[in-house]
Amino acid sequence: MKKLAIGLYAALTVALMVWGFYQAIYVAPDEQTMHEVQRIFYYHVPSAMVAFLFFAISLAGSIGYLACRRNRAEWAQISDAWALAGAEVGVVFCTVVLITGPLWGRRAWGIWWTWDARLTTTLVLWLIYVSYLLLRRFAAGPQVQTLAAVLGIFGALDVPIVYMSNRWWRTQHPAPVFGGGEDSGIKDPAMLHAFAWNVIAWLAWGILILALRYRVERQHQKFAAQEAQEALDA
Amino acid sequence: MDERVLLDHQFTVAAYVVTWAVQLGYLAWLGLKWRAQKRNAARAARNPR
Repeated sequence: MKKLAIGLYAALTVALMVWGFYQAIYVAPDEQTMHEVQRIFYYHVPSAMVAFLFFAISLAGSIGYLACRRNRAEWAQISDAWALAGAEVGVVFCTVVLITGPLWGRRAWGIWWTWDARLTTTLVLWLIYVSYLLLRRFAAGPQVQTLAAVLGIFGALDVPIVYMSNRWWRTQHPAPVFGGGEDSGIKDPAMLHAFAWNVIAWLAWGILILALRYRVERQHQKFAAQEAQEALDA
Repeated sequence: MDERVLLDHQFTVAAYVVTWAVQLGYLAWLGLKWRAQKRNAARAARNPR
């Protein structure tokens, strides 16, 4: 029954991805000034939104781990697995943002990169979470999970700075599409629909790989605990 | 075809292709990791210390 539900969810996600692609490429009209290259928007912005959400999950997991590590070991391990899964899948989405952004910028602005507030804070966010993953991968010892949780919390502090950067400072990056004042928002309904479908599709895809990553981490934790117990018994 | 239009098209295709390459590459890596873990668990179950 569980396998059937996972299979159905995966099939629904693939259908959403195909539908989102169709909407972005064939249904949404060309934007007046940037023309076809503006269609990168339908992958770039949803990826950023999903990355932010997953960094928030990593933050919740990190806080949960620090809160439970002394008295509720099982909950602490579950929280830690969510923290790691959120950070890793968030980095994947943030990588997409940092690749599609310069591709779009090269055609729209004539440059691949500029050190403006939005771009720089996003790169810093990516670097913080990559260092989180490197810490998890290469450090050893009983304090690694605690150190990673603290780093995860500090990393998440950059998320609101990234979000607010093109509201607080003048940037090369365009003004916010949503929540940026009276002129913000997508005016064309076909563009809005294409954007909304792609947000839903990428969110569904992200949840699928987040759940898979969480499961792999839980398996790893159980295997490591079992090995440690056997080593003690031997 | 106008060169600007062609470049716009190529950059758009590149962004979509790279997005899928990153996502599917990560999924494949995750699948390999999962399979390796299952294999290790099965080996440990067969040969307890």
